[in-house]
Amino acid sequence: MNADTAKRVLLVIRHSPYGSSLARASLDAALAAAAFEQPINLLFIGDGVLQLLPEQDAAAIGLRNHARTLASLPLYNIDSVYVERAAADRYHIDLALAPLVVLPLDSHEIHQFMCQHDHLLGF
Amino acid sequence: MILHTINAAPSSNALADCMAIAEPCDAVLLLGDGVYAALKDTVSCTQLQSSGAALYVLQADAAAAGVLNLLADDIRLIDMDGFVELSETMPRQQAWY
Repeated sequence: MNADTAKRVLLVIRHSPYGSSLARASLDAALAAAAFEQPINLLFIGDGVLQLLPEQDAAAIGLRNHARTLASLPLYNIDSVYVERAAADRYHIDLALAPLVVLPLDSHEIHQFMCQHDHLLGF
Repeated sequence: MILHTINAAPSSNALADCMAIAEPCDAVLLLGDGVYAALKDTVSCTQLQSSGAALYVLQADAAAAGVLNLLADDIRLIDMDGFVELSETMPRQQAWY
């Protein structure tokens, strides 16, 4: 599909990485979109910012390291990743240490950003 | 313009996350356990009202919950056909759960 006519999809990610399968599912959606060369953006809000903590080690709970998968997204040409500044501040998350480069947005910017997309997928 | 659907109880993060970004040009539809957020004079209802967004509740879910007569006055009740019509007037939808 031509990139100009493709629907713009935003993944709105708002759950912690290991509390449910939602974080995993959001990555599957991102990678599926990338595989079909569909433009996709990621937005981490609320508890979703907890996925960006840098020192995750899920070996002892038998799960894959979520932060490491996030770090691989630029390999699939997913490099537009945004985060709710207030949520990151609330949890004292240093975004400079996040597994991939993220751009912080305030709440009004988030609304504007969401309105630039055709489809909003919540995870 | 965003149609927000909230189908989790007011104590969950769904309502708070939605209210953090909702603007007056938006519409909010409460369904499932989300209907409790529209109970008159509650903290959650005040929060919804101060967003400035148009507020809707799915009638069947409000009836099931037994809250039909307890909702704030500025809440509009809609049925499934109304939900479809509403979604047609809004360019995009965000589900909060």
